[in-house]
Amino acid sequence: MTEPVKDLVVQAELVSKTFGTLRALDRVSFQVVAGEWIAIMGPSGSGKTTLINILGGLDRPTSGRAIVDGVDVGTLGERELTRYRADKVGFVFQQFHLVPYLSAVENVMLAQYFHSVADEAEAVRALQRVGLGDRLVHLPSQLSGGEQQRVALARALINHPKLILADEPTGNLDQANEDLVLDLLRDLHSAGHTILLVTHSLAIGRLADRRIELAHGRLAQIIFNVDENHKAVQEHS
Amino acid sequence: MFWRILWRLLHASRGRLLLAFIAVASGAAVCAALLNLDLDAGDKLAREFRVLGANVIVAPQRSTDAVPLMDAGAMAQINALRVPEIVAAAPYLYIAAQAEPPAASNVAQAGPAAAGNATQQAEKASGIPVIVAGTWFDQIARMNSWWKIEGQWVSSRDDSAHCMAGSEAAKTLGLGPGSALILRYGGREASLIVSGIATSGGSEDSQLFVSLEVAQNLAALGGRIGLVQLSVRGSAPAIENVMKQLARALPGLSVLPVRQLAATEGRLLERIRGLLLATVFLILLLTALGVLAAMAGLALERRRDVGLMKALGGSVQRVVGFFLAEATVVGLAGGVIGCGAGMLLSQWMGARIFATSIAPRPIVLPVILILMVAVSLAGALPLGLLGRVRPAEILRGE
Repeated sequence: MTEPVKDLVVQAELVSKTFGTLRALDRVSFQVVAGEWIAIMGPSGSGKTTLINILGGLDRPTSGRAIVDGVDVGTLGERELTRYRADKVGFVFQQFHLVPYLSAVENVMLAQYFHSVADEAEAVRALQRVGLGDRLVHLPSQLSGGEQQRVALARALINHPKLILADEPTGNLDQANEDLVLDLLRDLHSAGHTILLVTHSLAIGRLADRRIELAHGRLAQIIFNVDENHKAVQEHS
Repeated sequence: MFWRILWRLLHASRGRLLLAFIAVASGAAVCAALLNLDLDAGDKLAREFRVLGANVIVAPQRSTDAVPLMDAGAMAQINALRVPEIVAAAPYLYIAAQAEPPAASNVAQAGPAAAGNATQQAEKASGIPVIVAGTWFDQIARMNSWWKIEGQWVSSRDDSAHCMAGSEAAKTLGLGPGSALILRYGGREASLIVSGIATSGGSEDSQLFVSLEVAQNLAALGGRIGLVQLSVRGSAPAIENVMKQLARALPGLSVLPVRQLAATEGRLLERIRGLLLATVFLILLLTALGVLAAMAGLALERRRDVGLMKALGGSVQRVVGFFLAEATVVGLAGGVIGCGAGMLLSQWMGARIFATSIAPRPIVLPVILILMVAVSLAGALPLGLLGRVRPAEILRGE
């Protein structure tokens, strides 16, 4: 029995990025299909965040192509990149990055405002989904780290992006809050969202469908987490 | 959402924005006061200048007549023009009459100083030549309110029983307030009582001032005058304009400026105005620098927020639009409050400098608001530059 062909959401083709003389990414290629959860792993400085930034339209590749939902991100102008970020991707950062003077619901509405029109009722529902129905008017400084990260998740999801990019979303959380956030990510995955998650943690990496491991800017290996005992490994030289 | 975020921004940065607001409000207050003064002070200064005497003369055109004269009907024509800039208009008929000093009985009334000269006066009983100016007392009093008067002005324009004496003429004739005097000309005479002694520091000090009617009767020149002196207020162009109106209304007569005075007034008014406007410009510059200092700190604080907003898909226009709107609110609020304070300041300055109230000019408010918003936006340049922030660098913590 053959599986139905799923839509390609991400196509990275020989993506390279240099900062001056530093080669942060070196001809990285992989594909992600819709609904996949990919963990991007590797030691510090291996190019994980650079890869996420390129796919999120925050940076441009020096060479190669990064195609997300049919859009070659590297060819977009500044205005098109802005539109791309609003329409196609939802970011979750390790440092949460909420606007400190906006309440939880306003932080979610801000993403709506940049996308199209702010809808408070929908923003409230998004926060209720992540268990923050009673924290709507709290400022980030009045929320715990886990709560802030859940606000960031609600913000990332509010515009129904094609791709959720999470850069070590549990890196600053205690175990209890990490579990909460991971449960949410599992739920999102079950609901069919495409997730690229950067992590140092093997335990978290194993939750994903595949682990893409980077080393010195190069794609070291792609591991399919279908069966821990008989894991499928695609080696890259 | 825009207004909601704007309100949050204003609330979150109230400390720094308060500094910018104080800079704008202070600048607006001084600028509003100076602009209000500039609009009202020109008028006020012109009025102040107008106590300094005539600055325009209407006279007969040069002719072969020994003493060129004109019809006194010119006064009616001038008044009929109803030109608001004309503060006063006085007809003059000059004659060289013989003055008989007061009799001994009047000397006592004139005071001890005059009594000492009784012998000298008796010697001059046949009459002393003196320039007599027939005029309208009410008009020369208005035109020359700065003259120093001993006694009092003749109260009525047509008072044929009293006269004013210039201080030098009074000294020569031994006159004082209340002295009796007889003027003779061409076999006609007029008996007058001196109402006041005037000191101007000019040629008027050696003249006697009588009503126009008395001079005309003495000279047997009923309905004739020698010239008209006018006090016209306003800037040099305004005075020029009035002169043109007069020239059109009085064909056959010459309308002449008292050059030195008119030009000096005009120059002085223009210099004062230039000084006020230069000060306003300087204050605007300083206000912009004050706002710039406050906003530069704010821009550093907002760098991370701008990076984040751009990462979330906020366009440069939308993101920077928040901050420019913030600067506009500061400009408007500072402008309104400052303008109100400036109006009060101009009232105080008006009372101190011109001893009169300065009327608030409504036009000052929109002008100040436009200037303050422009200055705030110029001062908010560092916030505008935040549009260049690269989100990836900010999120990396650079």
